Amino acid sequence: MASSSARGRANRPRTFADARAMSSSSGELGWWVFMRVSGLLLVPLAFAHLWANNIAFNAGEIDFAYVAERLAQPSVKIFDSFLLLFAMLHGVNGLRYSIEDYVKRPRRRFTLKIVLFTVAGIIFVFGVMTLWAFSFEEMGNAVRALGSE
Amino acid sequence: MYRGREGQWAFVFHRMSGVALALFLLLHVIDISLVMFGPDGPFDAFLVFYHNWPFRVGLIAVIAGVVYHGLNGLRIIIMDFTTWGVRYQKAMWYGVLGLTAAIGVPVLWKIVPEILAAV
Repeated sequence: MASSSARGRANRPRTFADARAMSSSSGELGWWVFMRVSGLLLVPLAFAHLWANNIAFNAGEIDFAYVAERLAQPSVKIFDSFLLLFAMLHGVNGLRYSIEDYVKRPRRRFTLKIVLFTVAGIIFVFGVMTLWAFSFEEMGNAVRALGSE
Repeated sequence: MYRGREGQWAFVFHRMSGVALALFLLLHVIDISLVMFGPDGPFDAFLVFYHNWPFRVGLIAVIAGVVYHGLNGLRIIIMDFTTWGVRYQKAMWYGVLGLTAAIGVPVLWKIVPEILAAV
């Protein structure tokens, strides 16, 4: 019993049928599905990211020039944008699950979630700016260069 | 302490690695954002901390966390969306641990000498 069904807290659904039966219109079924879909996508995205920066390169030698050269490539911008989007949503939703599992007092729960969403939102904007903050002319050239490859 | 069996430990490791990776992700997006300040900005100065050996050992833990969390996540997807997944969840968890170790050994083989060379 314990070994096969103890993956989640007591009232968390464990199969898609469970999840659908337990959800009404709360959107939790959507998040339940999203965690699996984004998780599946994040396996190749995150593994490739780690490979490029830790195995194909010595991470101890990463400096401004290395990052600037990587982020100047349109393919890296697009790849990292998907990685940033899915990792942030997947990670923040996972932290939300943890807050809801372990923080019992309603006010503290609410406060912690508001702080989490605010901080994560600001950091996400930093990430998008880092990836895409260059002129529209450069962006047009980058997209054209990508198409002609 | 837990009297749980494999499934419970799989969950505990998944939760711990997930929380750690999410917090690292927030830090990591901030540190990469520092390149926005340009070549004379704070990025290289900040990276000096990352290049210290305790941080590089921590990065190995991040890699291990990603590999475990990713592979165990695939196990969860199989359990949730197939009729046979739950029946083989225990064997699949040992598979996850074995694969994590199998990937970990060559990763250590590659990265540990780099850390030692830089100390």
